[in-house]
Amino acid sequence: MQGAAHLYDGRSAARQAVQVALSRERQALIISGDGLEVPLIWPLQDLRELHDHADEDQLILTRHLETGDESLRDPARLVVEDPEMAAWLRRTRPRLARRDLREGTWRRIGLRAGGALAAVLLMIFVILPALAGTLSRLIPVEKEIAFGRGVKAQIERVFGATEAGELDCSAPDGVAALERMVAGLTDGQEIGYPLDVTVIDHQMMNAFAMPGGHIVVMRGLLEGADSPDMVAAVLAHEIGHVVHRDPTRNALRTAGSVGLLGLLFGDFTGGAATVLLAERMISASYSREAEAKADDYAFDMLRSAGLPPSALRDMFERFREEFGDVEGPMAHFASHPRLTDRIAAAGAASSGDSPHRPALSSGEWRALQDICDIHANTRDTD
Amino acid sequence: MNDGNSGQGEYTGSGKALFWLALRTGCLTLLTLGIYRFWGKTRIRRYIWSAARLEGSRFEYTGTGLEKFLGFLLAVVFLAVYLGLIQILLFWFGMTIFAEPQTSEQALLQTAGFSLSAVALLPFIFFAIYRARRYKMARTRWRGIRFGMDKAAWGYALRALLYWALTLLSLGLLTPLMTFRLEKYMTDRSWFGTARFVQQGRWTALYGCMLQIFIALALLACDGLSIALGKEILAVVLLPVGAVWLVIGVISYRVQSFAYLSRNKVLDGTVAFEAAPRTKTVIGTYVLGALLLGLGISVVTGVFGGIAAFALFGRDFDPTGAGLQPDMIPSVLITAAGYLMTLIAARAGALALITQPILKHYVTTLAVINLTALAEIRQRAADSGADAEGFADALDIGGAI
Repeated sequence: MQGAAHLYDGRSAARQAVQVALSRERQALIISGDGLEVPLIWPLQDLRELHDHADEDQLILTRHLETGDESLRDPARLVVEDPEMAAWLRRTRPRLARRDLREGTWRRIGLRAGGALAAVLLMIFVILPALAGTLSRLIPVEKEIAFGRGVKAQIERVFGATEAGELDCSAPDGVAALERMVAGLTDGQEIGYPLDVTVIDHQMMNAFAMPGGHIVVMRGLLEGADSPDMVAAVLAHEIGHVVHRDPTRNALRTAGSVGLLGLLFGDFTGGAATVLLAERMISASYSREAEAKADDYAFDMLRSAGLPPSALRDMFERFREEFGDVEGPMAHFASHPRLTDRIAAAGAASSGDSPHRPALSSGEWRALQDICDIHANTRDTD
Repeated sequence: MNDGNSGQGEYTGSGKALFWLALRTGCLTLLTLGIYRFWGKTRIRRYIWSAARLEGSRFEYTGTGLEKFLGFLLAVVFLAVYLGLIQILLFWFGMTIFAEPQTSEQALLQTAGFSLSAVALLPFIFFAIYRARRYKMARTRWRGIRFGMDKAAWGYALRALLYWALTLLSLGLLTPLMTFRLEKYMTDRSWFGTARFVQQGRWTALYGCMLQIFIALALLACDGLSIALGKEILAVVLLPVGAVWLVIGVISYRVQSFAYLSRNKVLDGTVAFEAAPRTKTVIGTYVLGALLLGLGISVVTGVFGGIAAFALFGRDFDPTGAGLQPDMIPSVLITAAGYLMTLIAARAGALALITQPILKHYVTTLAVINLTALAEIRQRAADSGADAEGFADALDIGGAI
């Protein structure tokens, strides 16, 4: 077996025409040519080919060699264009395709990967939450209130409003009833913000707290509640979020971790989806703790307002009837703790409820439930 | 010129081979949650580099996926800390300073405040650009001889910030100064073996490459004038013409400034280059490739979408019901998989139909004069490559290849 080839010796940019032959013991390639003082001897077991080469008629060979280079390869290259020789080498030398790793490669991968993971986890779970807590206390209250107004406008836009306040419900009797309910709950309590509670015209059974004391209750919640006490219980829970500055802290923490996760997952296909999913998981584990604290706050607030903490349990049971509980792996992705757990906690808190007066009289309760009617009417006649 | 001592670049890559390579590596990247992307990019580079040929010798890319992965992990440690802190602080400032946007300008300011993190990253981005080029040079060989670049990334970042600021302050009029000086900074630090590149020429010569941009701006100015004079019909016609002309002008500037800068590079004081890429061909290739790609994707997604819809037909679930129902899972999975596969195929298609043909045009219109001098050039020492583009990967810069 012998043939013509080209050699780049790895020292100069000259292209040398050479003859390649198999040694007598068939253990090495002997490369000879005019430019070579002595023939080169490349043992067959050290031969390696270049991968992903664009020219299928060429086989480019190099040698496995201990070097300080990026890979363990001799800088010299042998270009074999003789089809017979290329085919023979490919057929008889399976080691050609081998990739040789430097010793200690796995240890290096482990160390680097561990370091990167530790840095990211430390940022997301320790440094950013701590920083978010500190920064949220440093914002002047009026700025936080104004920021919250912006957030509220954004949420309204999500529910279909074209301008801020468009979906607000404003039947005067209903507004008065709502104000009385809030006043009853907050009487003698230190909130830290002027509370701004609005009802918006949407059938979803839900309520949100936003930065700076803004709370939005949706019409669906008023309709789904069996008694004014249940609405008062939800309000107390949201006021708990406000007092703990949860919405502001969450916004700050999300801003920090979103950039960081985008960095980690890079621009690989579908990366954005992974970022969202990961961020969702983190904020879920974060707000589960915040939710439990807001529940505790609500129990205390209800008790001091002379209302039964069991109202919160009743509301959770309504939620469970409406949405079902999130079980199994999905429970981890939900932003609230499992309803069953919360019902149990609320049940424990409400042991020994004494007889009480409801949060609103039946007339006021009807007015609150109809708070969106006048709004709907005026919108129709517009 | 054809005295036997000059060589024209050749490019022999096939679109089909590159498409399948990109499709395979794309699928592996998805299956490994993104980790394979370093190996994928390396394999695609090996293919493209080896498809380029000068004077009978093919180029070689010697980078490894492993070193890119390790470099990325290193960059993540630095950037995770830096980015996390910068982002949360800027958001806090945005919240405290522009809390409630009263007017649309203030809303714009607030958005700008929130996206200031991009500005905070600028020095790193320029640093990464230089490092990425140095890495690619260090991993490129021709006739077994390494290319290389000096370690000077922070000097580049500083100058890039300065020239960008100058360009913005001059409303773009000093763009040629920036283009020229930054390219000169990199070229003068580039090597092929023991031979050094030098960037010659004058920055003012690049104004010639801006001709089409100036024409487009003149058209847009006429458009403004005709609105002021109340000639609406003229204004309606001039606006789209001026806008399209501006896009063409920007592409023309990039192609022609590259050609000018290449023609004025000298290696080792003796080897010169000839570059004659045509703006027309670049734009034509891009438009044709995009059309073919769009057509291909719509046909393939149409066929597969139809099959999937047929397979799922008859499964009943209540689309108005709340939550995720077990019956919906197959269709959700198929939709997600179809979406991701379409993205991977679109990337592979863009590489084979747009990036590679344009690259081929650049390579085949490039010639090297005084080839005999090349044989005198000796090998240079290996460069460890530092972060192996890790910063560029983490910051999403670097483009298709």
